[in-house]
Amino acid sequence: MAREERRTPDIRQGLTGRGIVKRYGKKEVLHGIDLALEPGKIYGLIGRNGAGKTTLLSLLSAQNPLTAGEVLLGGEPVWENILAMSCICFSRELNPSGEAGTAAMKVGQYLDTAAAYFPHWDREMESRLLAHFQLERREKLAKLSKGMLSMVTIITAMASKAPYTFLDEPAAGLDVIAREEFYRMLLEEYAATGRTFVISTHIIDEAAAVLEETIILKDGEILVKENTEELVSSCVYISGREEEVRKAAQGLRVYHWEAVGRSVGCMVWLREGEELPSDCAIQVQPVSLQKIFAALCQEGGEAQ
Amino acid sequence: MQAVLTQEKSIYLQIAEMIENDILREVLLEEEQAPSTNELARVYAINPATAAKGVNLLVDEGILYKKRGIGMFVMAGAKEKIRRKRRESFYQDYVARLLEEARSLGISREELIQMIAGQDKEG
Repeated sequence: MAREERRTPDIRQGLTGRGIVKRYGKKEVLHGIDLALEPGKIYGLIGRNGAGKTTLLSLLSAQNPLTAGEVLLGGEPVWENILAMSCICFSRELNPSGEAGTAAMKVGQYLDTAAAYFPHWDREMESRLLAHFQLERREKLAKLSKGMLSMVTIITAMASKAPYTFLDEPAAGLDVIAREEFYRMLLEEYAATGRTFVISTHIIDEAAAVLEETIILKDGEILVKENTEELVSSCVYISGREEEVRKAAQGLRVYHWEAVGRSVGCMVWLREGEELPSDCAIQVQPVSLQKIFAALCQEGGEAQ
Repeated sequence: MQAVLTQEKSIYLQIAEMIENDILREVLLEEEQAPSTNELARVYAINPATAAKGVNLLVDEGILYKKRGIGMFVMAGAKEKIRRKRRESFYQDYVARLLEEARSLGISREELIQMIAGQDKEG
């Protein structure tokens, strides 16, 4: 009987999703997503609650079956492919009231279960981070605070040493100092190994400088996938008297039009090569990634 | 170094500017090693690709140069080069804005000149 031999996927070729569709019952959550993750980059995945971020990450890591489409690592299908799956770590947000099995586990058991999947699991790093976060292996997950659960998911992600590592809301529940520590730790690990990371977060401006590329998911579709620096520098907030702003914004992509007394303001997303006219009496201000996200994802979307 | 990053300007431009400032103020000397991309990424908690973009901008302008296998160094004559460049943009960056604000406040040219002269005496 000819049995198909699985080869170790070539991780340098990237992780690719094609036509990803996911339905839960009658509800379609993702509507045909094409996404290529290149090796050696830190991606940010942002979207409103319910946009499909967690679902997308679970499909890309073969923890959840696709309704349609495919996910390939180095050209090899990821689904039921143990060699490919050992290269992709999806460290889920832990919720002690959630899955009964996980809640009863101790920190050590949870980490050991994860370690069994990843051939390059780093025990030394695991103990170093446990000590750093002042966590004990014998503590029960159900007894941990939200912030401490985030730390467990961060340890899982880091120690997995998986070439493709996804973190779902790692910053949730962490205080500001722990969040800064997390991003430094992430950058250090990234500088040392060149692993690919995908980080989903709602605390966008804190993460922006760390993210080489930003992926914005809206209503089950990818709205934006751009180099973060380029995206931020191509968006500006313009304001002034209405006729001047209208004149300046003519033909440009305009979002989040708002009137403040006699003056109006809006965000403009310039396409490559586009510029604001220099003969309009308007104020031009930079916009942060969080503001861009809010403007793009607001109800109504493109204004005017 | 060790200035704080703002959101007013692209991060890579701020990185390039901070290195320039250090050269201008002789915190970094010519022919001395400049901070590496990874160091910059760590200190400012930014993506190394962004730090590299800032450093490469200075390489393109002939302010830093790369010694293979060792790292980035400050080019001889870099300080003078930065000075010349900043002098050229001084009018646009500072004077033009000063004049515009003075105009909208109704401050006359004479008053302005007096302010500058007075300030100079005090300092």
